Parts: sequence; C-alpha cells; structure tokens
Amino acid sequence: MVPGEIFGFLGLNGAGKTTTIRILLDLVRPTTGRASIFGADCQTHGIEVRARLGHLPGEPGFYGDMTGAATLDLLGQLSATPIDTELRKRLLDRLEFAAADLKRPMREYSTGMKRKLGIVQAFMADPPLLILDEPTEGLDPLMQDSFYDLVADVRRRGRTVFMSSHVLPEVERVCDRIALLRGGELVLLSSVDDVRRLAGRRVRVSFAADVVTPPVWPESCEVVATAPREWELRVHGAIGPLAALVGALPVADLDVQMPHLEEVLKKYYARPS
Amino acid sequence: MSSPVVVLARHSLRRMRPILIGMAIVLCGFQFLLTQVASYLFRSGGFNLMPSLVPDFVQQMAGPSMLAMMSFQGIVAFGYFHPFVLAAHLGLAIAIATEPAGEVETRFADLTLARPIARYQAITRTAVLLFAVEAAVIVGMMASTWTGLLCCTPREAPRPDASVIRWLAVMLGAVSLCWGGIALALASGARRRATAGGTAAIAALAAFLLDYLGRIWEPARLVSRLSPFHYFEPMTVAGGLPPSVGDVVVLLSIAAAATSIAYIVFGRRDL
Repeated sequence: MVPGEIFGFLGLNGAGKTTTIRILLDLVRPTTGRASIFGADCQTHGIEVRARLGHLPGEPGFYGDMTGAATLDLLGQLSATPIDTELRKRLLDRLEFAAADLKRPMREYSTGMKRKLGIVQAFMADPPLLILDEPTEGLDPLMQDSFYDLVADVRRRGRTVFMSSHVLPEVERVCDRIALLRGGELVLLSSVDDVRRLAGRRVRVSFAADVVTPPVWPESCEVVATAPREWELRVHGAIGPLAALVGALPVADLDVQMPHLEEVLKKYYARPS
Repeated sequence: MSSPVVVLARHSLRRMRPILIGMAIVLCGFQFLLTQVASYLFRSGGFNLMPSLVPDFVQQMAGPSMLAMMSFQGIVAFGYFHPFVLAAHLGLAIAIATEPAGEVETRFADLTLARPIARYQAITRTAVLLFAVEAAVIVGMMASTWTGLLCCTPREAPRPDASVIRWLAVMLGAVSLCWGGIALALASGARRRATAGGTAAIAALAAFLLDYLGRIWEPARLVSRLSPFHYFEPMTVAGGLPPSVGDVVVLLSIAAAATSIAYIVFGRRDL
C-alpha cells in the first residue's frame, strides 16, 4: 500500500477478507507465509504494528452493560497514544452521536449506533493506518456520506485507509486502489481508474433514419446490440474511430456512459480460477 | 498512561463488581454467623450433648477429627471448609478465570487485542485478578470471624488459635487458586466461556468425589492422589494437628503449572 491512499479490499462472502485482516492484527496466525505492516512482521512485532493502527471489526464485540462513554474510555486507555478528547468529540459530532446516548448502556444501541461507536473508537487515536472491516454495514445513507467525508478527511491528512467491502459503488466512490480476493487468493490488484478502463465506456448511438451495420467495426469497439436506428457498443480506449465512423451517418443522439467498477468486478467474481 | 494489565484488571473488576460484592457479603456473613452459632451452642451447653447424639460407630469411622468439630473451635473453623464455602470459592475462581474465553466469545478481544497489547497481558490480568479477589474475600472472611469472636462471643468461650484460622484460610485460598488455574488453562483454549467454566466445574466435582471415595474406600486411595482435593486437609488442622506445607505447595504448584499452560495456549491460539 502507498501511504495516504484508500485501499479497497474486495471479495465475496467467505473470500478471506476478514481472515486477512485478522492475520494483519495477529488475531489469527497464518498456517504459512507472513504478513507485515510498516515493514514490521505482524506477528513477531505485533505490538509496535498495532500501536500505529486503528481497527474497526466487522462485528464489534461491545459489552451490552457498558455505556458508550465507558467503552471509548477503556479502549482509549489501551491505545498507544493518549486520546485527544477534542478529536473524539468532533468524531462523535460528525457521526451525530448525542452526548446523552453515550451515557446509555450499549445493549440499548441500534446496529447503526454500535457501528458509529466502532468507527469512533477506530479513528479516535488518529493512527497513521486504519483497517476497517465492512465499515458502512448497518449505517443509513446519510451516515454513509458522513463516513465517506471522514475517510476523505483522514486521507487529506496523510493517513492510510485499508477497508474491506463488498459494496462496489462505495469502493468506487472512496478508494484509490483495490485488491480483489477470491477463494483466499488475490486475483486483482489495480487502481480504480485502471479497472474502469478495463470495463470500457458504454456508447449508445441513435439515428434519425435506418442505417446499415458496417461489416467491420473499429478495433476499440465491442458490439453489444444493433438495430436499424440504434447501436449499443462498448468502447475500450479512444472514442475517435467510432466518432469517425458515425460522422457520416444521420446521428440523432450520442450517449456515452462512464464504466462502473461493478461491471468488471462481477466478471472477476464469477470467473472460475 | 496506566499499564494495559492495570486498565484491563480495572475494567474486569468493574464488570464483576456486583457478583464479587454479593459473594463477599455472603461468605463474610457466613463466617460471622458461624461464630454466633458456636456462641449459642456454648451458652446452651450444646457442645456437651453433641457427642452423645452421634452413634459410637459413626464417631469411630470419622475419627478424632469429628469430635474436634463438635467444639466451639470446630464450628468456627468449619466456615473455611464447609461445602457451601468451598463451592462458592471455586465458583468465584472459575468465573474470574474463564474471562479470556468470554472475551473471545463476545469478540471483545478483537477490540482490545487489536491494540498494542500482548496476549500474555490478558492472561496476567486474569491471574492477578484471581489472586487479588481470592485474597480479598479470604481476608474479609477472617475479619468477619474475628469480629464475631471479639464482639459477640462469651469471654470464656475457647476461641480457636489465630494460626489455625490463618492456615485454614491459606488452604482454602490454595485450593481455590488451584481450580482457578485449571479453569484459566481451559479458558485459554476455549471459544466459549460456558464450555471452559462447565468443564472446570465438572472436573472439580469429579475430583471432589474421587477424593471422597479414596477416603472411604481403600482400593481407591491411590487413585485419589490425582485429585487436588487430596491435598486439601482442613479437618486435620481444625482438629489441632500441624498443617501440611507440602499439600499447600502441591496445590499452588498445580495453579502455577496450569497458569503457565494458559500463557502458552492463549499465546498460540487463533482468536
């Protein structure tokens, strides 16, 4: 990973995302191989590694009889650096966590509130690396936006974020690079832009009159569907050759859609090894 | 900043506070109550009548320790090895010692051990807590015994020797720590607290019965040496015989060995 980037860790359920994260945190020991963060082995130098990261588990195991405030206090005391109470307060405000809610036992919290508290405990030490497992699971759309803003903020301040997710639009929106895991193996490691380029733009050309389908298409074009007055194509790379082809035809409308990550990743998900 | 062991221990104590306070009140109250029972029997001359109420063959089977128990000192000392007291101490020790398994089960360990804390610190926390709570409860029991003896007992009543009560307390503490250590070893490898606690409780009951069998049935005497309760002989101390330091050493050695196993197992396991 590159410092200051947001890295999406993708895969279907059971692909091994959470297991990988638990290996990085030395909660699970690998049968073979090794993992390292900041150049230090996650097992042999686990304490120094974990001193520099914040972690949001997929299912945070909060005690129902503890209040939110007591939980944050406890986890803050276990952090490597003293917690900046101002930062903690800002995080709580940002996630619209009322002070009164902090005084309630956590058994009374909804799933979303627990998730918000999980996010706060991960971010409150302001660590250089954040490891987040399915961070927006259980958050409503407005809170998801707040979370994305929060992630953008920490990136601006040079922090690195490693987040697992299976919500592709979320990954597309916030991540710089992605890794895709399938059956415990890494099958794709790329920037989001490069993956989008792999997908190709979807182009729909509508004609004012019937046109004849050309016998040979430009190399960059992949035909999806054709009709006498409409072509649907996928263009990989420059759109110039297609523009030249349709330039002489009675074009009524030209609709170019940017590709979605989803289109490529679904193929990776489905493709057998 | 405080050491993680101190922070975790404080957190555990806070969570267990109701059960610890409740248990301490019951056990301390029980000691006080026994001093008052002994006082009542002393005042009413009950101790003179008691031997005549027990048939001769029972007295012969039980030996001189039984007669010793039918005295003021015996009743007071009984509070340190009464089955209820023993069960309460073992239950408390097992409840404290199985916390690591509870934290794995609830996934609270994911939050704490994802921070710069070594796994051994979680076990150290539990071991320290186990020792501290046992010590505190036993000291409270001794204080209740002496309070009862000093404030509300006839002056002429033959009070037990302080060293006898001290030794009984040490033996009770040793057997509790022994089973706490065993429960900690089981909890260090378990995914569920109930599994570790249940196994430890069943093992304690089986060991208790094995020891009992060894005491009443000669062929089982050798095997009963495997039971930690074989090294818990409070009746002899209560009967006025000198305590066996070796027995206490054996119990504490089992506790130490089991705790060492817990460190190794918890350090190597997947959480």
